Amino acid sequence: MASKLQQERRAEFKRYKEDVAKEGKPFFPYAILHDTIMSLVVVAVIIGLAVIWKYTNQGTDVGVLGPLSTAKADPGTTNFVPRPDWFFYFLFYLLRIFKWPETVVLGTVGVPTLLLVLLIGLPFFDRRPERAILRRPVAFVAAILVVISMGVLTWKGATAKEALGSETVSLVPKWANEQGFADNKVAVAGATLFAESGCLNCHTYLGTGSSNLGAPNLSDEGAKGRGIAWQVAHLKNPSSKTPGSPMPSFAALGDENLTKIATFLEASKGPQK
Amino acid sequence: MTENPDDTPQEPGHSLWPIGFAIGVAVVLVGLVISWPAVVLGAALTIVFGVLWIRDASRSHAPVDSAPAHELMGDTPSPGLAAAEEEHLETYGRAGFLTLATIGLGGVIGAAVVLPSLGFAVLPSFTGEAVATNDVDLGPVSNFPEGEFVITTFIGNKVQGEVSKRTAYIRNNGLSANKEPSFTIIYSRCVHLGCPVQPNGPKFEDKKVTYKDVTLTPVQPAGFGCPCHGGAYDTEGNRTAGPPVRSLDRYAFSIVNGNLVLGKHFSVGTVVGTGADAKISRYRQTYPGVHVDGIERWLYPIPVPGS
Amino acid sequence: MAKSARQAQIEQAALYPLDWVEERTGLVGYTKWFLFRNVPGDVNWMQTLGAATLTAFIVQATTGVFLAMYYKPDPNSAYESVQHITHEVTLGWLVRGMHKWGASLFIILMFLHMARTFLFGAYKYPRELNWIIGVLLLVTGMAEGFTGYLLPWDQTAYWATVVGININATAPIAGPFIAQFLQGGSQIGPDTLAKFYSLHMLIIPGGLMALIGLHMYLVVRLGVTSPPWSPKAAGRPRDEPAPTGYGDYRQGLIREHREEHAQEDGA
Repeated sequence: MASKLQQERRAEFKRYKEDVAKEGKPFFPYAILHDTIMSLVVVAVIIGLAVIWKYTNQGTDVGVLGPLSTAKADPGTTNFVPRPDWFFYFLFYLLRIFKWPETVVLGTVGVPTLLLVLLIGLPFFDRRPERAILRRPVAFVAAILVVISMGVLTWKGATAKEALGSETVSLVPKWANEQGFADNKVAVAGATLFAESGCLNCHTYLGTGSSNLGAPNLSDEGAKGRGIAWQVAHLKNPSSKTPGSPMPSFAALGDENLTKIATFLEASKGPQK
Repeated sequence: MTENPDDTPQEPGHSLWPIGFAIGVAVVLVGLVISWPAVVLGAALTIVFGVLWIRDASRSHAPVDSAPAHELMGDTPSPGLAAAEEEHLETYGRAGFLTLATIGLGGVIGAAVVLPSLGFAVLPSFTGEAVATNDVDLGPVSNFPEGEFVITTFIGNKVQGEVSKRTAYIRNNGLSANKEPSFTIIYSRCVHLGCPVQPNGPKFEDKKVTYKDVTLTPVQPAGFGCPCHGGAYDTEGNRTAGPPVRSLDRYAFSIVNGNLVLGKHFSVGTVVGTGADAKISRYRQTYPGVHVDGIERWLYPIPVPGS
Repeated sequence: MAKSARQAQIEQAALYPLDWVEERTGLVGYTKWFLFRNVPGDVNWMQTLGAATLTAFIVQATTGVFLAMYYKPDPNSAYESVQHITHEVTLGWLVRGMHKWGASLFIILMFLHMARTFLFGAYKYPRELNWIIGVLLLVTGMAEGFTGYLLPWDQTAYWATVVGININATAPIAGPFIAQFLQGGSQIGPDTLAKFYSLHMLIIPGGLMALIGLHMYLVVRLGVTSPPWSPKAAGRPRDEPAPTGYGDYRQGLIREHREEHAQEDGA
């Protein structure tokens, strides 16, 4: 014995079928024409993208749609930052949000599974027969939130910065120019060490590096007046100079290298230009 | 029109035997992965409950409402049989037998085709056929200066070729307290999600050495860092920051004719102490992101064979 | 309009093959029914997204088949075969480019189609199963993208797959088994590429085609909904006046609405 709601639904479907039979139009040619036009647009866009991809990649310049391919797979490399396909960027960024070891499985499996369960179960959570979006406030708000959050996560995933040692080293001349220490050889050497030693995995500097773990920006570190001795002592034992700091010790680099890095940091007083 | 049981589809009666059958099948499948005795137990359960189920289902197929078979065939019933009929004798009708035979044979054929194919698709990943073996010759110990790290890139399995190329960060620790050579050999892939980990320090490309297809590049790291999500490790591979769930993996090693030879790849919980005195808590090779100790280990109760 | 005997003869000759097939298979009748069945008169442009997604899938399947004629799924020759396709095979760059960008477009269109279905409330009775099949299509489509990403065997492909498989490995209990099955061992090895190729070419497309078949069968059987804001929505309640909520800013609907009422008053 069907409930009243179920009877209503069945009656509505019956009316729907009658309306379509009486007032509807044949699929061919009315609806299929629109489908065909849209399909043509889709094929044109695909071909257009393929053509642009090829023709912006002539010579050695990388085109606006990315290179035709990267180097052949090297399973032993220590010089590459993995990235998924763009439609996985929202999941990729979730991994950066869940950055504590105990929460890793939440970001990799927990949240996506929960979202999928909600998505599949939607017809069973939402049983009201109402179709008009403005009369479905919960659905409306939920949809807006989902679109915004997935959009933000995808965009943040796309723009997430990772510091690849080999790439950041090539930025040293630019830094020397902007900060004005190009004539200070010790500072330049220190900048190279700074780029090679993984500092930018946690810190940001003049627009590169990662701020995911909450480490401070070092672009104007020199303006804080801490002095080279303080910097060297800090690098050897960070928590002795900034209590509670999770930064590991860099003592293994040796005093000479640490002094170079300290000189570089003290010469970084913020962009001169 | 009277309902003829032979024309309408006959549903089996309710019973619990299918549950036992399903449990038997599940135990077989689990046993295929974990242990062979479980397969035998599961097969026994499957057969026992399967037989009981079929017996039950075939009973309810008997045409209870129609006349007993011998009456339809025109025989005169014997007095004893007539008396037995009062007790509602259940018999297999022809329809029932044919149904069971079809389902049974169909099941056998299906299993004979599907199970080996599925097994072929799934089992080799777990029987170690595709797992790279080790014993990689990395060259004379003299190529590894004491107290310094060397980025060592090698081919893990000559037969597999380039696809088994791997990198390890190797430091010669000199001699341990027991006067044995000690090496710290750290695998270069992050234990958060497998990104290649970078040494945090200057590399000395001009001092690069090659031994057969092994390349050795000296480096002076203060630790190791992963650019993907900011994981950081110290020079023993212990996690110092970021999402990694344990310490970096390592390789076992042996010294053969003065050459460093790489052994089995294993995972590490924590390392206490440094260099030759380090105490390493060793576990079988585990996937990145999977805890090896602590309460989170309960999320992964079944060890994966073939690793 | 009266037909001449000659015209009737020509018509009969043209229709004869169709009748021949129809009598033996019944397919012509089904095709005619599919093509000329009624759909609501007020279907919206947004409702072409489903057909657009299907087109993208067909583009992928076709370009994929032709790429497979030149691609070599072995780690030692995969990268070189893709370079060969891109730079040496005639129009190879076009087919490869279409396949790569078609993949992105397929995913985008699936999301847009899902959003349109949600907006229209077209996941409600009696179309719940169709929604579920659609979500399964989305997940399977993304899996297809994941397996295909490895095939060029360049640095991007290899390392994205390493991380993707390790993400699977973190799932409790079954995770490491899934990862080991996908990789064909405890690490990406010589069998991994072949397995991903088989998944990408045979298993997942088979699943996609089966699900698409089911999905379209349900769409044809249950019909497409009218836009919920349409005053002539098929299935609208009869004892209430047509919805006016959104008609105020849609000129066309106001005119129709007024005409409707004018008819009622004037009649």
